[in-house]
Amino acid sequence: MKRDLVTFKGVSEGVYLDVVGNDLEAIKDELNTKFNNASSFFKGAKFLGVRSDELSDDQIMEIKLTLKYKYEMNISNEGIPEYIEEYYTENVNENENENDTKTKPFDGIQEGVTKFIHGTLRSGQEVDYNGNIVIIGDVNPGAFIKAKGNIIVLGSLRGVAHAGIGGNYDSIVAAYNLLPMQLRIGDIIARSPDDEIEYKSPEIARIIEGEVFIEPYLPNK
Amino acid sequence: MEDKKNGKAIVITSGKGGVGKTTTSANIGTGLAMNGNSVVILDADIGLRNLDVVLGLENRIVYDIVDVVEKNCRLKQALIKDKRFEKLYLLPAAQTRDKTAIKPEQMIELINELKKDFDYIIIDCPAGIEQGFQYSIAGADEAIIVTTPEISAVRDADRVIGILEAKEVHSPKLIINRIRPDMVKKGDMMNIDDIVDILAINLLGVVPDDEAIVISTNKGEPVVLDDKALAGQAYKNITNRIMGEEVELLNLEVEDEGKLSRIIKLIFGK
Repeated sequence: MKRDLVTFKGVSEGVYLDVVGNDLEAIKDELNTKFNNASSFFKGAKFLGVRSDELSDDQIMEIKLTLKYKYEMNISNEGIPEYIEEYYTENVNENENENDTKTKPFDGIQEGVTKFIHGTLRSGQEVDYNGNIVIIGDVNPGAFIKAKGNIIVLGSLRGVAHAGIGGNYDSIVAAYNLLPMQLRIGDIIARSPDDEIEYKSPEIARIIEGEVFIEPYLPNK
Repeated sequence: MEDKKNGKAIVITSGKGGVGKTTTSANIGTGLAMNGNSVVILDADIGLRNLDVVLGLENRIVYDIVDVVEKNCRLKQALIKDKRFEKLYLLPAAQTRDKTAIKPEQMIELINELKKDFDYIIIDCPAGIEQGFQYSIAGADEAIIVTTPEISAVRDADRVIGILEAKEVHSPKLIINRIRPDMVKKGDMMNIDDIVDILAINLLGVVPDDEAIVISTNKGEPVVLDDKALAGQAYKNITNRIMGEEVELLNLEVEDEGKLSRIIKLIFGK
């Protein structure tokens, strides 16, 4: 659906005009249709101003004059309230942030959003989170954890853990019993050895020089 | 891989669960590869995958069959090379999805693709006769029915043979699994002739109930690699029959199976 070039928006202070693009003729045409359809609707309304990202000051002035003289709008000198302008600039920033999380690695591994999961993750279950994940329970073979940040398992990790999705190679995977079927950090994949080795101490896995290193994090235990 | 082949797709099915489809798939696939064939074993049991565990390849899975049909990866990226045989590959099932993830047409396309590169495509069918079974048999040229000497398993096998005939997968072959000659002798277990009589299809082989199967499954090494195990020997014979072309040879081999049963009787009979 084509988005309207001009939209009247009402706030408690009055109404303002939200304009998309900078084609002045098309904008005037659309204004004309709007007023023809609802000429009495705007009678007496206090008009605050024109909000636009692309129009020049001169063009905004021209629209205001048109509104004042052609459509007899009551133009106020207050202007558009500040919070509305802020709302628009914030929205633009939010969109940019969204793109960032898709392309840039997650940077909250020291301090950042974390999902806590209480209970055992069983075969076929999957947890996917744009942050760190803490599992208070076990992760069984066939279960899959995907995190943009760290993965901490307060139990046995026997499934597949993928930390640092999106490219944070400083992410870690730690567990009381670190026996993953497969361990991935960023795009580096390590698999469990074919012959069974069972360590009883809590361990941590991290990337050192492009390889997954696993070592106890409580060296004296 | 080298030149274009024209492989044969064989589905291993049973209707009933727990009769040994996955074990049979792993052993036939490995057995065929031992004899120099290029083989891919396809795990069609999406959501309840086991074949990777039985083959000891679970820790190598990155992509699976659903990734292939949804085009998240290329087919060759999902194929896992066996650690023992160069020409043996596994196409694992997805574990976090279910059987609605694949349609019969997609399976046919996938198997046709695999046929170009492999001599044999062994499809490990899930239990039941629902969606999973339907897409598993969709691309198959031949079928092997696995049953155990129990009336319930034989009943389900009969049902499956009927469906296969309706779907035009012709002349399925039978494997009777987990037979215990001592019990058969005492009349406590259905004998081979009774089962073949009911199902009226060609017998491909008989596999004795063997502790070695449990050990091999837990170790992730197919029993066919174990020269000492009787079950391993039985699977070797079955593999040879699959590769053989002549019907007489098959009958002869079944006769051999009789000798084998006698040996088992000697051992267990004491």
